Amino acid sequence: MYRRRDPISDSIMIWFCDRRIEAAADDSVAAALLAASISCFGRTAVSGAPRAPFCMIGNCFDCLVEIDGETNLQACLVTVREGMRIRPHPGNGFGDDGEKGEA
Amino acid sequence: MTQDTCTDVVVVGAGPAGMTTASCLAESGVRALLLDEHTAPGGQVYRSVEKVTDKRPADLNVLGSHYRSGSKAVERLHSSGAQYWPGTSVWEISAAEEPALAVGVVRDGRARMIQAGHIVLATGAMERPTPFPGWTLPGVMTVGAAQTLLKSSGLVPEGRIAVAGSGPLLYLYISQLIKAGKKPQVILDTRPRASLQTKLSVLAALTVDPASMFRGLGWMREVRREIRVRERVHRLRASGVEKLSSISYESCDRQFTDEVDLLLVHDGVIPNTWLAMSAGCRHHWNVQQRCWVPDITGAGQTSRQSVSVVGDAAGIIGADASVLHGEAVACEVAACLEGKQPGVVGNAAHPLLAWQHRTLRRCLDQFYPPAQEFELPPDDETVVCRCEEVTAGEIRRVAALGCVGPNQGKAFTRCGMGPCMGRKCGVTVSRLIAEHHGLSMHEVGHYRIRPPVKPINVGQLADLETDADAHTD
Amino acid sequence: MNHLDIAVIGGGLLGSAFAYGLSTDGGRVGLIDEGDHAIRTARGNFGLVWVQGKGLGMPDYARWSLRSAYAWTPFSEELQAQTGTLVEYHRPGGFYVSIDDTEFADNVARLKQLRDEAGDEGYDYEVVERAALCEQLPGIGPDVPGATYCPHDGHANPLKLLRALQEAFRLNGGTYTPSSRVTTIRPVNGGGFEILCEGGREFGCEKLVIAAGHGSAELGKSLGMEIPIFPVQGQVVVTERAQMTMTYPTNYVRQTDDGNYLLGPSARDVGFNDETETTTLRDITRRCTTAFPHLRQLRIQRTWAALRIMTPDGFPVYLQSEAYPEAFSFSCHSGVTLAAVHATDVSRWVLDGHIPSQYRCFHPERFDVPA
Repeated sequence: MYRRRDPISDSIMIWFCDRRIEAAADDSVAAALLAASISCFGRTAVSGAPRAPFCMIGNCFDCLVEIDGETNLQACLVTVREGMRIRPHPGNGFGDDGEKGEA
Repeated sequence: MTQDTCTDVVVVGAGPAGMTTASCLAESGVRALLLDEHTAPGGQVYRSVEKVTDKRPADLNVLGSHYRSGSKAVERLHSSGAQYWPGTSVWEISAAEEPALAVGVVRDGRARMIQAGHIVLATGAMERPTPFPGWTLPGVMTVGAAQTLLKSSGLVPEGRIAVAGSGPLLYLYISQLIKAGKKPQVILDTRPRASLQTKLSVLAALTVDPASMFRGLGWMREVRREIRVRERVHRLRASGVEKLSSISYESCDRQFTDEVDLLLVHDGVIPNTWLAMSAGCRHHWNVQQRCWVPDITGAGQTSRQSVSVVGDAAGIIGADASVLHGEAVACEVAACLEGKQPGVVGNAAHPLLAWQHRTLRRCLDQFYPPAQEFELPPDDETVVCRCEEVTAGEIRRVAALGCVGPNQGKAFTRCGMGPCMGRKCGVTVSRLIAEHHGLSMHEVGHYRIRPPVKPINVGQLADLETDADAHTD
Repeated sequence: MNHLDIAVIGGGLLGSAFAYGLSTDGGRVGLIDEGDHAIRTARGNFGLVWVQGKGLGMPDYARWSLRSAYAWTPFSEELQAQTGTLVEYHRPGGFYVSIDDTEFADNVARLKQLRDEAGDEGYDYEVVERAALCEQLPGIGPDVPGATYCPHDGHANPLKLLRALQEAFRLNGGTYTPSSRVTTIRPVNGGGFEILCEGGREFGCEKLVIAAGHGSAELGKSLGMEIPIFPVQGQVVVTERAQMTMTYPTNYVRQTDDGNYLLGPSARDVGFNDETETTTLRDITRRCTTAFPHLRQLRIQRTWAALRIMTPDGFPVYLQSEAYPEAFSFSCHSGVTLAAVHATDVSRWVLDGHIPSQYRCFHPERFDVPA
C-alpha cells in the first residue's frame, strides 16, 4: 500500500506474527507494517472482518495490536523497537485469523 | 518539578494550540505540564516537524512552508520551561462532583492520576466521519492518515489511488504527493454545484485574507491541472475481498467503476470533543460548521469552572489562529488561577486578525460543505458504527421504535459501545435519528461520553495508586 | 388528548415490563417516557437474574425472586418468538464468590440464616470450597477462599431485554411516546386520570401505573402515594470482548454472550450524581481481579454509573392509591430479576384492579411501624 521515499537509514528488525520486517527506528508500528504491505492488522469483534489503520491519529482504533504480549495498543501511536513482536489483537478470539496479513 | 503528581495547569495535546498555551503559561511563571500521546510535539498539522527538519530536510519542500513554520512553536515549547510528557495518553478527567481536579493518564504502561488547579484541553480536530458502503475495508483510509504517514515516516502510497471528498486538506495533501513524485488516478469531488452564497463568500475571503485564499486556490488549481477530477460525486462504494480492489460511483449522471489499491477520503475536520464531553462540559451543535462545539465564555472557559478548551477543539479555526488562541487562553487561565477576573487581553489584541480568520473560515465552510451522503448514508447496509458494525438501517429501525437520541440508540444497538466510543459514528447516529424524528441536532444531542476516553486495561486501573494511598515517586 | 385504557409512566425496565404485560390483554396501553438524557437507570444494570442471598428479614422476597427466576424461561422465550430479539437469558446457576475469609464466612452465615427463616420454602444452595471451584470457574484467583452456588441463579442482557419488551409492546398495539416527561397527574371526576407532559402532550386514561424510577416519588405524592425511594449509585466496568471462558454468572463478574466481561458491584450514597469516580472504579477492578486475575489483560471498553432505585430495606415498594384505586406504583432496584413476574403477575394485578393480600408485604406501610 505504501512505499518509502528514501531508503531506511537506521534500520531495525521487528516481527509481525512469523514475518520479519525491516523498519526505520522512528516508525510507528502502523507505518512499519503498512510499508511492509501488511493489509490486515486484526479482525473485528463482531464479524471477524479484516481491519487496517483508517485515521492514523488514534481515533479509529482499527489498528489495535498486541505488542510483546501487551494487548490493546494502537499501532499508530507506538514507536517500533528492535525485536518487537507484534500480533493481531487477540481479545475478540478472531486474532489467529490475522496470521498472514499480507497484501 | 519534584512531585510529578501535582501541577498548576495540565494542558492536553501538543499541537500549535497546546504548545502555545503551555509555553505562555510557563513563561509567566505558572507550572504547566503538557501531555501528548505522540512521541514528539506538533499535533497533527505539524506532526513530526522536529524529526523531518532534522533527518529528512528534503521532505520540507514536499510538505511546504506552512508545515516548516511549525518548528517555531516547538522551539518555544522547549525553551519555555513547561514540562512536557510525550507518550502519555489521558483516559479520564475527574468528575466535577469530586473534591479534587485530577487527570488520569497512562504512561509507560502505568496508570496514574495528576492533580491540577486547571486543565486546558487542546485536543485539536479529527476528520469528519465519512460512512459509505465498504469504507471499513483495508485500503480505505483518510487523507489525514496518508498525510501523517508522509510526515512521520516519509511514506508515499503505491499503486492506483483515488481521493474522494472535499476540503483544503485534500488539495494540500495531493499537492504534497505530486511534489513527492506520485499522482493519484482520480479525484472524486463530492461538492454540489457552487451556490451564489458560496461564490460571494469566496469573494469576501479574497478581500479579507488574500494570502491564505491564493495559497488554497493555488493548491486546487495545481492539482486539478494534473489529475482527472470527477464532479458532484454520489453513491460512492468501495468493494473487495479482504481488502479494497475497486470503487464505484456516480458523477454527473454517469456511472463509473475504477480498480484501485487505495482510496483516501476526506470531508473536512471537526473538533475532537471527547475529553471535554467526558469532563461534563456542555456542548452545542454549530450549524455552520456541522459539528459539536463546547460552550465557551471568554477566551476558552467551558461550562466547567476549571476546564478550558483551546484551538481547534473549541471550534475549527486552523493552525495559525490556534496559536493566537493559545496565548489568549493562557492569559485567561493564569488570571483564573490568581483568582482574578480575566481581562479582555488576548482577544482585544487581535480583533482584526480574529475577524479575518472568521471570514476565511466561513468561506471554507461554504466552499467545502460536508457531503450529504456521508452525513446521512442513503444505503441501509452502510456500516455506521465501525467498531460494533451497526448499519444505517439498524439505526433507522430503532429510531422508528422510538429512540429519540443516540444514547437510547446505543442501548438498543450497541453503536458507540466500541473502543472508539463514537468518534467515528456519533455524528452520523445523531443525524439519522434527527432526520427520522424531524428534530434538530441540538434536540437529539450527542453520546454521553464516559471514561476511559483512551485505552486502559483492567490491570492498569487496578494498580492505580491515588493520593489516598500516599505515594511519592 | 390521547385516550388510553392504561397509561404506564416510565420506559425503563419496570415500566416496559408492565407495558408489555398489560398490552397482551388487548386494551389501549400507552407507555409514556422521558427522552434520551434522563436518569435512565436501566442503562446501568448488571444483568443478574438472581435469587441467592435475597430476602434477609423478608422471606417473601426470596420467594418472589425465585418465582421470577422460574418464570424467566417462558418469559424470554415468548419475547424472542414475538420479536426475534434474543435476551440472552441463561440459568446455569450462579456463584457468590468471596475474596477473603471474612466475606466468605459472612456470606455462608447469611445464607444459613435465610434458610432457617424460610424453612421448607427456602431455596437450594451449596457451599463450595476453593479447590472445587476451579472447574466451574476457571481462572479463579488463588486468594479466593470459596463461593456459594445456587442453581436458580442466572443472567440476561438488560439492554436487549429493554428493547425486546418495547418491541413486543408495540407489536401488541401499544403506543410508546418518548420525550414526554410527566409534570402533572389530575384525577378526573368519575374515574380515570389526565396526564400532562412537558412540551404540551396530554393523555387521558382509566388506569395508571407509575414506574418512573426516581420520578415516581413526586408523581405518586399527588395521588396520595408515599413512595420512600432514594438513589444509590452503582458503577460498572465493561471490558472488551474476549474468548468465552465464564459460563456461570457471579456476584462480581459475569461474561456476556458477546464476550464482554461486566465487573461490579459498588454502592455509593451521592445523591443524584451519575458520574463515575476513579477510586470506586479502581476498587471494583481490584476486587474482580482478586477473584479472576486473568481479567487484568483486558481493555476497559467503557464504564457506567447508574442510580439504583433503593428503598429503606432494599425490598420492592408496590402499592395502589387508596384515594384513587385505579392508580398503582411499583418501584424496586431488581428490574431484571423481577422482569418476568412484573410482565405476568404484576400486570395481572393491575388488570384485575387490586394487589393480592399475600403481596401486602411490599406495601410501604411497613416503614411506618413505630419504634
